[in-house]
Amino acid sequence: MEELRALPAQVNEVDYRRRGYHVEVNLSAGEVRGFAGILRDRNFYLVFVSAVHLAPAVEVIYQLASHSDPCRIVGRAQPADDGSVPTISDIFTGANWHERETMEMFGVTFSGHPYPEPLLLPEDAADLHPLLKGDGGVKTVEQVRWPAGEGN
Amino acid sequence: MESATNNRERQSFFLNMGPQHPSTHGVLRLLLEMDGEYVLEPEPVLGYSHRIQEKMGESRSWAGFMPNTGRLDYLSALIYNHGYVGLIERMAGIEVPPRAEYIRVITSELNRISSHLLWLGAFLLDLGAFTPILYTFDDREQILDILEHVTGARLTYSYFRVGGVCSDVDQRFLEATRAFVGRLRGRFPIYEKLVTTNIIFIKRVKDIARFTPDMALRYGATGPILRGTGINYDIRRNEPYSVYPELEFDIPVGETGDCMDVYLVRVREMEQSLRIIEQALERLPEGPFRVKVPRRLKLPRGDASFSVETARGELTYYLVSDGSDVPYRLKVRSPSFSNLSLLPELCRNVLLSDLVMALGTIDPVIPEIDR
Repeated sequence: MEELRALPAQVNEVDYRRRGYHVEVNLSAGEVRGFAGILRDRNFYLVFVSAVHLAPAVEVIYQLASHSDPCRIVGRAQPADDGSVPTISDIFTGANWHERETMEMFGVTFSGHPYPEPLLLPEDAADLHPLLKGDGGVKTVEQVRWPAGEGN
Repeated sequence: MESATNNRERQSFFLNMGPQHPSTHGVLRLLLEMDGEYVLEPEPVLGYSHRIQEKMGESRSWAGFMPNTGRLDYLSALIYNHGYVGLIERMAGIEVPPRAEYIRVITSELNRISSHLLWLGAFLLDLGAFTPILYTFDDREQILDILEHVTGARLTYSYFRVGGVCSDVDQRFLEATRAFVGRLRGRFPIYEKLVTTNIIFIKRVKDIARFTPDMALRYGATGPILRGTGINYDIRRNEPYSVYPELEFDIPVGETGDCMDVYLVRVREMEQSLRIIEQALERLPEGPFRVKVPRRLKLPRGDASFSVETARGELTYYLVSDGSDVPYRLKVRSPSFSNLSLLPELCRNVLLSDLVMALGTIDPVIPEIDR
């Protein structure tokens, strides 16, 4: 926890009974690798990497958990201005496939990814990005966050 | 050294395994770069049963997605039901009657055993042993009959409901389950004699495809292949849900992480599941099996996560809600996805026949990877 707090990111402990995870971390794209590195050193494993289409930008979600302590961490990263987030596939090897899936589903770029090819979609559907919301369906960040005072 | 590498490159060829190969268990395709009988680089090619389940999850109400959960990992459909109802109940703050929780645990554990029995038969079939699958399917059939009686389905169950289960269990179910526990206990010595001590089997799996704790951490591998490496991690214990904390059971672990250890972990898990079922039957309380939940119940704004231990490892549902009854985003983290992703590292420079063993040990269910 202390090491995470040392990051410039915003770190909150939340109510596990309502949310099913213990800590949330709001990151900027530049902090992602530092966040992953700290958790790798503390023997966390990667649960998944995914994303949510929000306005103004697609938000990348990281979930990690620990084998030894009941501790589940959700990290949310805002992509940089060019829509990219640095890859963590050299820190957690398993992120390779998760990032490939996120790339094809949301059109997020993971800079430095060793093999940025589609994973589940056919090659000719690489620009489809099916998990993006249609016109008018996109919500803002505030519309999908727990109301203040709840779930904390 | 360099000339040897060049030589190798010149000799290598590509072998296409699947998507209809009998030992890829479903529509998985492996693109294998081979040198003679050795695999230089295996590359899984996915997507043949991709149905964009996550999009379906955000285009209908949370109640409407329920049947889809049984069609992700069709071999442990009830446990997928369990994770989903658990998630909605957590978000909406719904208390489930104890009887429902016990019924969920009994049926989930039966489902886990049926999944492991199918794996056991199919795994041995992969290495050329035809007889065991006849025995395991005989046992598995009993479970399917029991579950069909109470859930109405034999494979793609959609039995759990938010707030409980769809229908109550009856005396016939309880008696049949008790009888099955006794029957399967009597069958383990047969499997032990037929398989575990068989010298051909041991030669094929001992020291083959060693999973390491470091590899499991880096890839996020969970389930029996993680426990085979000696790490004691099971969501039912480490992040308990439902009534698992009230029940006594052990988490079997291996030592070396080879195919033999993972095999033993799975067999012992079946024994532990029997223990769980026995205790849950003993304690099954009277009372309601379901609380009424409005079908158009609006979920609170925010996000939540729920994890369960399936037959293959950790399943996590992660839901983002905008305050309506239709999820804004539903992420399904399935265990085989992460487990299979370590295959290329695990199977570099191994014999093709050992790759088949490694793949069988991972026990992937493809519709759950592709979603």
